[in-house]
Amino acid sequence: MIDKKVAPQAPDFTAADSEGNSIRLSSYKGKRNVVLVFNRGFF
Amino acid sequence: MAQLRQEYQKFVERDAEVIAIGPEDTASFQKWWRNHKMPFIGIPDPNHVIAEGLYSQKFKLIKGGRLPALAVIDKSGRIRLMHYSDSTADIPTDEEVLALLDELNKETK
Repeated sequence: MIDKKVAPQAPDFTAADSEGNSIRLSSYKGKRNVVLVFNRGFF
Repeated sequence: MAQLRQEYQKFVERDAEVIAIGPEDTASFQKWWRNHKMPFIGIPDPNHVIAEGLYSQKFKLIKGGRLPALAVIDKSGRIRLMHYSDSTADIPTDEEVLALLDELNKETK
């Protein structure tokens, strides 16, 4: 685990999800943890 | 992905949202996501703007695909784990990530 004192701020992004909803990463700040999973690809 | 779907509730219980980002085009991604009834957020990123541009996910030409990566972000918006896989099997287990979330939640209480 990266120490809180040196952990970098996560780069923010806004993107449409599979249902077309706009997702903004920074909207979780102060509220929830986020696990970002970068897939290899399904196919 | 299948295992993560089964375990998703454990992430929710730990005050975490799971956001998966895939390299497929929007239509293919949406079809797969709906067919598999994925309970968490999935974002198609066909131009790799998020995966490569912001989070430096690697593309390994010899295997013809992207290598998985995983980031855990705490409630203050900081990256507390950034894992770049060396192979398709090299992914932190759900148990490892859940244990890390428990640690993060202790910090913020």
